[in-house]
Amino acid sequence: MAIHIIIPRLGWSMDEGIFAGWLKADGDSIRAGDPLFTLQGEKATQDVEAIDEGVLKIPATGPLVGETVLVGAIIGYLVQAGESLPGTAVAKRPDPIPVRSDEPKSSPLARRIAREHGIDWTKLVGSGSSGRIRRADVLKAIQSEEVVSRPVIASPGRRVIAARMEESRRTTVPVTLTTTADVTNLVGLRRQFKAAEGPGLDVPSFMDFTVKLTALALRDHLALNSGNASVHVGIAVDTEGGLVVPVIRDATTLGLRQIAIRSRELISHARERKLRPDEMQGGTFTVTNLGAFGVETFTPIINPPECAILGMGKIERRPVMDGEEVVGRDLMHLSLTFDHRVVDGAPAARFLKQLVQSLENPAPWLMA
Amino acid sequence: MATMTGHAVRNDKQALLAIYKAMQTIRRTEEHMARAHQRGLIHGACHTYVGEEAIAVGVCAHLGAEDVVFSTHRGHGHALAKGVTPQSLVAELLGRETGCSRGRGGSMHLFAPEVGMMGTSGIVGPCILQAAGAGYSFKLMKSDHVAVAFFGDGAVNNGAFHEGLNMAGIWKLPVLFICENNGFATEIPFEYASGSRSVAARASAYGLPGVEVDGNDVLAVSKAALEAVERARGGGGATLIECKTYRTRAHAEGMGDFTYRTREEVEQWKTRCPILRLRQMLVEAAIANEAELRAIDDEVEAMAVEAVTLAEQAAWPDPSTAADHVYATPVRVDNPPPTGNRETSFMKATLEALTYEMENNSRIYVMGEGIGVRGGNFATTTGLFDRFGPVRLCDTPISERGFVGMAAGAAMTGTRPVVDFMFADFVLDAVGEILNQIAKVQYMSSGRLKMPVLLRGCIGVGNSAATHHSGNYSSMYAHFPGLRVVVPSCPYDAKGLLTRALRCDDPVLFLEHRGVLSIKGPVPEGSYEIEFGRAAVVREGTDVTVVALAMMVHQVRKVCDVLAKEGISVELIDPRTVAPLDVETIHASVRKTGRLLIVDETFAPFGLGAEIAAQVADAGFDDLDAPIRRLNGVHTPTPYSPPLEAAVVPGLDAIAKAIRDLVAE
Repeated sequence: MAIHIIIPRLGWSMDEGIFAGWLKADGDSIRAGDPLFTLQGEKATQDVEAIDEGVLKIPATGPLVGETVLVGAIIGYLVQAGESLPGTAVAKRPDPIPVRSDEPKSSPLARRIAREHGIDWTKLVGSGSSGRIRRADVLKAIQSEEVVSRPVIASPGRRVIAARMEESRRTTVPVTLTTTADVTNLVGLRRQFKAAEGPGLDVPSFMDFTVKLTALALRDHLALNSGNASVHVGIAVDTEGGLVVPVIRDATTLGLRQIAIRSRELISHARERKLRPDEMQGGTFTVTNLGAFGVETFTPIINPPECAILGMGKIERRPVMDGEEVVGRDLMHLSLTFDHRVVDGAPAARFLKQLVQSLENPAPWLMA
Repeated sequence: MATMTGHAVRNDKQALLAIYKAMQTIRRTEEHMARAHQRGLIHGACHTYVGEEAIAVGVCAHLGAEDVVFSTHRGHGHALAKGVTPQSLVAELLGRETGCSRGRGGSMHLFAPEVGMMGTSGIVGPCILQAAGAGYSFKLMKSDHVAVAFFGDGAVNNGAFHEGLNMAGIWKLPVLFICENNGFATEIPFEYASGSRSVAARASAYGLPGVEVDGNDVLAVSKAALEAVERARGGGGATLIECKTYRTRAHAEGMGDFTYRTREEVEQWKTRCPILRLRQMLVEAAIANEAELRAIDDEVEAMAVEAVTLAEQAAWPDPSTAADHVYATPVRVDNPPPTGNRETSFMKATLEALTYEMENNSRIYVMGEGIGVRGGNFATTTGLFDRFGPVRLCDTPISERGFVGMAAGAAMTGTRPVVDFMFADFVLDAVGEILNQIAKVQYMSSGRLKMPVLLRGCIGVGNSAATHHSGNYSSMYAHFPGLRVVVPSCPYDAKGLLTRALRCDDPVLFLEHRGVLSIKGPVPEGSYEIEFGRAAVVREGTDVTVVALAMMVHQVRKVCDVLAKEGISVELIDPRTVAPLDVETIHASVRKTGRLLIVDETFAPFGLGAEIAAQVADAGFDDLDAPIRRLNGVHTPTPYSPPLEAAVVPGLDAIAKAIRDLVAE
């Protein structure tokens, strides 16, 4: 009977690894102790040796170099002379197994009221005969000193925002990088637009410039663009009903003026509560701007399923050393939050660096 | 074909040619349907009448448009002879919108009430009862119309035959019972299935005239039918005519034919073809020549071909209408008046409603055992016999299936039967008539027939009535589309709901719990209606919603007072009707209380509580502060001995405990 070649567990908690390549070829005779393949575990890369003898058979469905493989997966066989290969396919990564809940028992009504009042019901003690948390327990908690100051999430719109924020917190590992760009040139460029202002000549906002330049930088750093080839930039808009994020689609291909026109449209739709669902869907990256309020840096929250968000801080004119001279420059603060599950710090920093360069000297980029 | 109906056969050429044409129309249309079946155009069964055409034509020759026909799974010939066009028949078998049943029936369920074709049934037997019921309608309305049941030899060994003919006999109903004895019930030979070789001879058992004729001789059939029709119109009552015949095609198209009969036998019968025989007679007697007959053949052939062509071109029914006509079109019902201060009992309240409606609607009549002079086992009809007489207060033999089946035929022909079946258990013998006929006719006739039948009877455990007098079948009936199921708990509701039942066009099961019949309560003197599907909030509360019906409403009320002293506030809801069921009112209450208990005397599995729980859990999951609970009677037949009987229904202690436990959950 064919002997299975199985991905071994290299560390205590390892449940998957990266297949780094076979060390023998299909059809090779293998003796016990021969190195068979290389596997990258959590901490190290290791050559895996054969335990048994036989002829190596590598099925067509076997893992490719660089592919993630599960511990226990069968990736090949050792067969004896004349023995044929079993028709087993290599196990692919299964859907994640849901984590067993240690939450206490609770009634649907209790959970609903808790949600509406922002109460963490998992911390409550249930008074039901089986320890179930009931409406009365949540109502008591709402009335108690401890939670009396908790905010009430009342409106449906607010509930959507709350749910999105919770989802982000639950499903991303956010890291925020902050930096400063010298946007003196950009301020000057915008001044030229203002000077030429007239009918049909919309002056792009700093947000519009930033959206355009961010889109161009994303094109070169697709990992920050949630892996998508097209760039659709969401713009965070503050409205009476709360935060909404309409999306400027294909922001790399739109010209600056088109972006300015489109963003004005979307912002006015948002404020008039006339946004269509399709105007809020499909974003691959979000830009949010608190600069107008004098904020310098902050920690924007990623808008799932995107994997990064750029926060624009205020632009201020500050004294800066130019050689030995002090000169006045316009400085803009930037905060980039990315999901460290998906992107590492260095690639995120590289993206931010290119963005800073383009903000500092925008003209060549805008010609692109 | 319509020209055929209404003309007595005279010995004149025109009438004979009309008969010839009518038979040929059936034959040619069915031959084309057989071809259409082979081409896959007919989606379900196709039972042809080939070889038996003389019977439908010979009988229908004496019927007018107001006379009615009830038929069987082999009903193409009856439909065509009664005036259904070949085109609408073929379209029906092809499943098209222009079909006589609008695509809802197919070969076995043909409805065209506009020409007096009151339906064919895939069930053997009901047509006999429905024709008897139509006869009862005509008798009540004092019209001279007649009803005809066509059925095969298979039906005569069915209880419906016995019950229907017996009642038609005792009440002298204007009905023709036409047995088409073609020798086989599907494949079972008549000689095997019947102890007596003669169907006609059985008529004497019911005090009816019985006639046997050669069913392949259209003039013989016509003559017998004419006599029977004249007897019926003249008040002489019903006649049983046995027509000896043979079908020369298989039981159904596509079925094998020679496992139970021989090819030779079929060929031999083909030589006795009723159409050929009439044709030969017409030529030999020099009434018509070949050319004239060929012209008729050609005309009929063209009509049959056109029928198939047009049916193939006709539109399919709109799938969004698949559930149309299950119930009559709803009408607006005024809100009922305040209860007032006059007290009366549940039973007297229903009697007030029935009396008022009978005075104002001469088409209402009551049928049942002991409801005439006796005034009903539960005083449901006290005093009405003296007021309305024996036709409108009709005591019946113990023939539950029979008189329930008759109610269907009566309702289809314009009267409004009230069937009083004393105990609900008794009517299980008639469940086929209720579920297969009464519940379905509005749908099958695409809303052209109404089914205003009120079926009332006593339910509930108590008084050591034991298992055959204690049943409660409300959930069972509510499971089926087409029925309204009313289960009142108090005199006020009983009067308003019974009045509604006597005015609506849907069949209503009005189930009266024996425990509430003598309960008194405030009832307005005047007439009023309560709409079906409107639950009553019997008592308002904040901690737990309890749903209960009939007797259980009163039991829960008693418990509520005790619980109130313990600080438990119960909101009690009485749905009043199980079909339609007002889940919205229950859900609205659960939104307030977060807790739901259904207390139901009947069985738990697949019952009222299960239905309410499922719907509330679905629509109101986030309103629930505890699991939904049910408290039901024990899943067992009802025992006799008092301590055993008490053990199978929810008692006061059990109800109180269930509510306390749910509040503590």
